[in-house]
Amino acid sequence: MLNRYITILFFFGYSSAVTGQICSQTIKGNITDLGSGGAIQYGNVFIEELKTGAVTDSLGDFFIQNICKGNYHLVFSHIGCESKELYLELTSDTVLKIILDHNHHELHEFSVSTHKETVEIQESTALEIETIRENANASLSCLIEQISGVSSIKNGSGIDKPVVHGMYGNRLAIINNGVAQSGQQWGSDHSPEIDPLVANEITVVKGVGALKFQSNSLGSVILVEPNNIQREPHLHGSANYFFESNGLGNGFNFSVQQYKNIGWRATATVKKSGDKHTPNYYLRNTGNEEANVALQFEKSITKHWNASAYFSSFNARLGVLRGSHIGNLTDLEEAFERTEPFFTQEEFSYDISAPFQEVNHHFGKLQTSYYFTDNQSIELTYAVQINQRKEFDVRRGGRTGKPALSLEQVSNFTELNYKNQFGKEWELKTGLQSNFTDNVNLPETGILPLIPNYVSAEYGGFITLEKSWKKAAVELGGRYDYENRKVADISTDLPRRVVKYDNVYENLSALLGANYAVTKSWKITGNIGLAQRNPEVNELYSNGLHQGVSGIELGDINLQPETSIKATLSVKGKVKQKLFIEALGYHQQIQDYIFLNPTNLVRLTIRGAFPLFEYQQTNATISGLDLSAIYQINNRLATKVQYSYLFGRDTEAGIPLVFMPANNLFGNLTYDFKQWKKLENIELEINNRYVFEQTNLLPEQDFIAPPESYYLLGAKLSAKRQVNKLRFHFYVKGENLLNQAYRDYLNRQRYFADDLGINFIVGINAKF
Amino acid sequence: MRWIPIVLIVGLFSCKKDAPEPIVIPNEEEVITTLNYTLTATNGDVVTFTFRDLDGDGGTEPVITNGALDTNTTYSGVLELLNETESPAENITEEVEEEGAEHQFFFSESLADLNIEYGDTDSDGNPIGIKTTLKTGKAGKTDLTITLRHQPNKSGAAVAGGDITNAGGETDISVVFSVDVK
Repeated sequence: MLNRYITILFFFGYSSAVTGQICSQTIKGNITDLGSGGAIQYGNVFIEELKTGAVTDSLGDFFIQNICKGNYHLVFSHIGCESKELYLELTSDTVLKIILDHNHHELHEFSVSTHKETVEIQESTALEIETIRENANASLSCLIEQISGVSSIKNGSGIDKPVVHGMYGNRLAIINNGVAQSGQQWGSDHSPEIDPLVANEITVVKGVGALKFQSNSLGSVILVEPNNIQREPHLHGSANYFFESNGLGNGFNFSVQQYKNIGWRATATVKKSGDKHTPNYYLRNTGNEEANVALQFEKSITKHWNASAYFSSFNARLGVLRGSHIGNLTDLEEAFERTEPFFTQEEFSYDISAPFQEVNHHFGKLQTSYYFTDNQSIELTYAVQINQRKEFDVRRGGRTGKPALSLEQVSNFTELNYKNQFGKEWELKTGLQSNFTDNVNLPETGILPLIPNYVSAEYGGFITLEKSWKKAAVELGGRYDYENRKVADISTDLPRRVVKYDNVYENLSALLGANYAVTKSWKITGNIGLAQRNPEVNELYSNGLHQGVSGIELGDINLQPETSIKATLSVKGKVKQKLFIEALGYHQQIQDYIFLNPTNLVRLTIRGAFPLFEYQQTNATISGLDLSAIYQINNRLATKVQYSYLFGRDTEAGIPLVFMPANNLFGNLTYDFKQWKKLENIELEINNRYVFEQTNLLPEQDFIAPPESYYLLGAKLSAKRQVNKLRFHFYVKGENLLNQAYRDYLNRQRYFADDLGINFIVGINAKF
Repeated sequence: MRWIPIVLIVGLFSCKKDAPEPIVIPNEEEVITTLNYTLTATNGDVVTFTFRDLDGDGGTEPVITNGALDTNTTYSGVLELLNETESPAENITEEVEEEGAEHQFFFSESLADLNIEYGDTDSDGNPIGIKTTLKTGKAGKTDLTITLRHQPNKSGAAVAGGDITNAGGETDISVVFSVDVK
């Protein structure tokens, strides 16, 4: 939530009359509520070093006296508020003005008119560190699923791809630390190689275009960002641990940071879990292992010149349900009939054997920025990404240890950006980007590769101009992209030979957005954007069997780029400090939309008959509505309701679009308890999710009918406690508490098995 | 972690590559292009059923050679699997035989008095199906489906008797021949 970052602090130094006495300083101040602007009574102020503090009076004022000069860490907290930490070098009497976010149930980023640099006027929702940590057991995609309009394509455990407004894979940009995540995004069973615990903030921009990024986004963007390092000379950090009952998963995450001449932060995560359990049986071979590290450096070289470096390494081994690895169509049909998948075993196991995926993603980024003035700056970024993906199948003749797919992608990205704020609230941003990608199949597989080798050179540039007034803002921008992709494919007919292609694409994107504050409490935002996406290599060249879906997929080398026009309109507002409402409607029209069309043809192979799917182009529309409302029933009790509706249509054939998320409804109730003994911020949440059946689909568009609607009940209890210099955060969560057996339309394992059963998670976080 | 120095080196010194070279066409050693089911009658007559698809899943259609059998005759059957993308052709049957406990062939047809029985066993005493005995009865026509399952549940009900229903596993081969008993 963006508003939590707005702790506005004013320091007023009073030259003390009695300078001789060292321990005569006072700290006084006032705590107010961000939402209402009113005073916060009974707010706690705690000085960690002195183990002393104060409580605010009815006017929100506090006063601590007879403090020695020195350096202190202060914690400000209140029931139902996010606590705030502050580092203070006390040299004289000090007055602090603290603003706490009391209404933390309030709609994300509701009351803040400030916008993030990369987001601009488009609608966005951010999840910050506390939420990320309380969901340490979840993948990036499952974590952001709590935002309305966001769903996940699942493929076993830990293999999840985010879907925003029906867009996924190459149509959805994932920006990791300012750079578009590179890798094999085309695969619907390839999840983004990002550790959410390394990020301090994850933002979903439910937008119409991503002009500032070199990506194929047709609208929405997911931004994964670590925070800047606090300018604090002491070593600080946090340690997190969680356990989850389903899969007997354990995870540990540790992060430390310091700023002394140079700022640095190191983060490491390890996770391991075993076979997950549906309400009725174990899902064999669905364990996963993950080990990630990240290193971040920041340095102010001069007052105007900053430099930073970032390195991260993501390494995972992800099991795939054994029973989902099948042969031909007959096997698939047999799998539909079964109550539990083939190879199901009675016992739990941590073993991961074939089929599984082994994924490594290494990221390095160097960035430097120079401020000519406070308003004018230039920034140079260089980033390299190495993505390695090996997929292991059950194979004959002792070849199971050899990957069936082994891809390595290296990409080199360079960017030069310029920003200028001028005149009366004008802001100009412009930039140039280049990206070189080298995608290679390692010849260790002994199998014809699914996608060909290629090298691609991309060059792009953008310009955006924004003008703000007191009550309104307008943004206008454009982008041009050039891509030259040289492909070396292997022929499908005999004798095998290399077939080369040389493709050139030129794309244009444009965006117009505006917002207007109708009253102090209500704001309207509208955006319209044009975006294009080049056909991906799999769509152009794939020719062969796609494991797990029992289909032969045929690419088409004549596919043209897709062109999308998307418009969004949103209304955000509040009624007193009680009711918060956000409604976002969108409509997207995609010309030459590329999709995998079932042809009704069957191809005969030695393994039997397989249905044939062809990549084709059509015209499509996607319309939807995201609604959220929060009602603060009283000081302690609040409720939230979210609804996402989406309707996708192939307008050329007059039929539904396949693989679109089902409509869903979410509701929760949160209660903030009084302080109990030494526990603060005690909060209980009961949540409910109802996912409708995907009825917008014809029977011939899938092997079996979409699963029925389902309801999931969850709960969470969390609390905090200060022990000397340590601040603990405890939580207990329950997922699918009714142990419902269900299947989800976007879960590709739904052909074979039920989704996950009941799960309890306990976690602890210690901040120091 | 071992990649981090390489990230730096590759990153700082790499520049645009012009072509996706070198391309290594993988050696498709695992592919089965051909199945031969050779039936030798007691009188020495040989009938061979063949399914051959040299270019794999894509490209041209497979070529299927069917055959006619005599009535009331006992044949000894032998299955042969080949990878003819290699020269000389690689015999895949040996691989299946070596991993006999992980493989089983299934034969299904619809003639009441045509019988196919297993003539071999794996290390656990369960059938594999590379060797069979086929007995014909009255004249008639049927489809014969030969299926090879990888990692079937060989101890499943009736699986050892040749019933595929409870076998599970995944299908490595599934071919259909027309058999004319006359």
